[in-house]
Amino acid sequence: MTRLGPLITLGSVLVLAVVFLLANTQAGKPTAVASATTAPATTGPTATSAPLHALYAGRSSGDQVTVAIAVNGHKVAADLNAGQASEVSLQGSVNGSEFTLTSQSGPGLTGSISGQDMFGTITGFLGQSFPFSAAQAVVQAVYTGRSSGNQVTLAVDTDGDKAAAYICNGKTIEAWLQGSVNGNQVSLTGDKGASLTGSLSGLDMFGTVTASAGLSFPFSAELSPRPAGVYQARIAVNGLATRIGWAVLPDGTQLGVAVAGTTKYPAPLLDLSNNSFTLDGASFTAAPVAGKDTVVSP
Amino acid sequence: MTSEPVTAYPARDQYARPLLVALLTGCGFALVLGLYAKLHHPTKYALDVAGFSSPLYAKAWLTTIAVVFAVVQLITGARITRQAAAPAWMATVHRWSGRIAILLTVPVIIHCIYALGFGTYSARVIAHSVLGCVFYGAFVAKMLSLVRRDAMPKWVLPVLGGVVFVSLIGLWATSALWLFATKGVHS
Repeated sequence: MTRLGPLITLGSVLVLAVVFLLANTQAGKPTAVASATTAPATTGPTATSAPLHALYAGRSSGDQVTVAIAVNGHKVAADLNAGQASEVSLQGSVNGSEFTLTSQSGPGLTGSISGQDMFGTITGFLGQSFPFSAAQAVVQAVYTGRSSGNQVTLAVDTDGDKAAAYICNGKTIEAWLQGSVNGNQVSLTGDKGASLTGSLSGLDMFGTVTASAGLSFPFSAELSPRPAGVYQARIAVNGLATRIGWAVLPDGTQLGVAVAGTTKYPAPLLDLSNNSFTLDGASFTAAPVAGKDTVVSP
Repeated sequence: MTSEPVTAYPARDQYARPLLVALLTGCGFALVLGLYAKLHHPTKYALDVAGFSSPLYAKAWLTTIAVVFAVVQLITGARITRQAAAPAWMATVHRWSGRIAILLTVPVIIHCIYALGFGTYSARVIAHSVLGCVFYGAFVAKMLSLVRRDAMPKWVLPVLGGVVFVSLIGLWATSALWLFATKGVHS
């Protein structure tokens, strides 16, 4: 004799489990694997002015010389290399999309920026002139700073045209932000009305940050070396799914908040030598966040 | 002319096949559950259940209610097993309290394996992870052995039911009881 009752029970448990599993996969798209970013395909209208921060790398048309050019505000620096100790550094300035560089030893460089590309001519190098082209390289940079009234500390990581940021006050205010860098404009958004808009100017970033609806502050941040940056840990603390963020300033000052469900508490101290921290007696590791990482679920 | 070979087969164990199927399926289910929980990359978060301060408390209360139904299971199960003439309503109560209890645990286990995974970072967590697999494995085995109840030895249902009950109590003690004791009893 076969009974169907237990099978129906078993089946309904399975169906309910599958429903919950699917609902979870749909609702909480977790930190998706950062998709391999394709080269920025900006071929539209050419930029009328140079970006305020950019690194270009390229070669002369005959492949004899490699060129690296850093644009930093109105200043430009370049490095020419033809191998065999024939390396030259040049300095110059940007005017609109045109730039001119010179060196003490003679070689010069002129060119113009067109979108993601740079075209120009190297003159007087090894007794020759070389036409060259270079493309904007993806550069990771960290900007850290505070709101003007020191209400929040923020760290923004830019990775080419992508940006991720974390803002917090170390206690109750915190937000993750995701966005992009377009020219010198930075624009990020997060959950619950959080946002950051700013502009890059020289080595600085100025703008307005909104931690949550109605909680906006003007801020300034500056290009910062490591250990400055955004750090994150997603851990289970005694079974409680917990997300911790830290904004770390270049001097090692750090502010962080741990969020477990609706509970927020100050983050434990992050050991910046190995990114480890201790919580409730257990040891964990945090990871530095790059601009291309997904920190806000889409 | 060849003579038919005469071999003395041992008497077939009438119980063997259905019981083996039920137990092996249960074991397989427990194994799959454990492997998925271990291999699936924990997301650290999942759907919230409305009305609770955190997913953890929602899970703790769901499990606690399931335990209450499980106690009903124990009482009615013992009566049904011991007394052949248990009132008919007792079987109904046993079935439905079991169904409700197991369905209450489903959102909990999905959160456990989807958001947290098979944890090994403390004795409590290891015990909880192992018991979770045992619980569902034993539940599957019990359901399958119920399908062919008349083909089962008498001890099978009480033993499997006992394993289900004990592992659920263990699950509750290593999670909900621990939470209530360390973080307080609230919703």
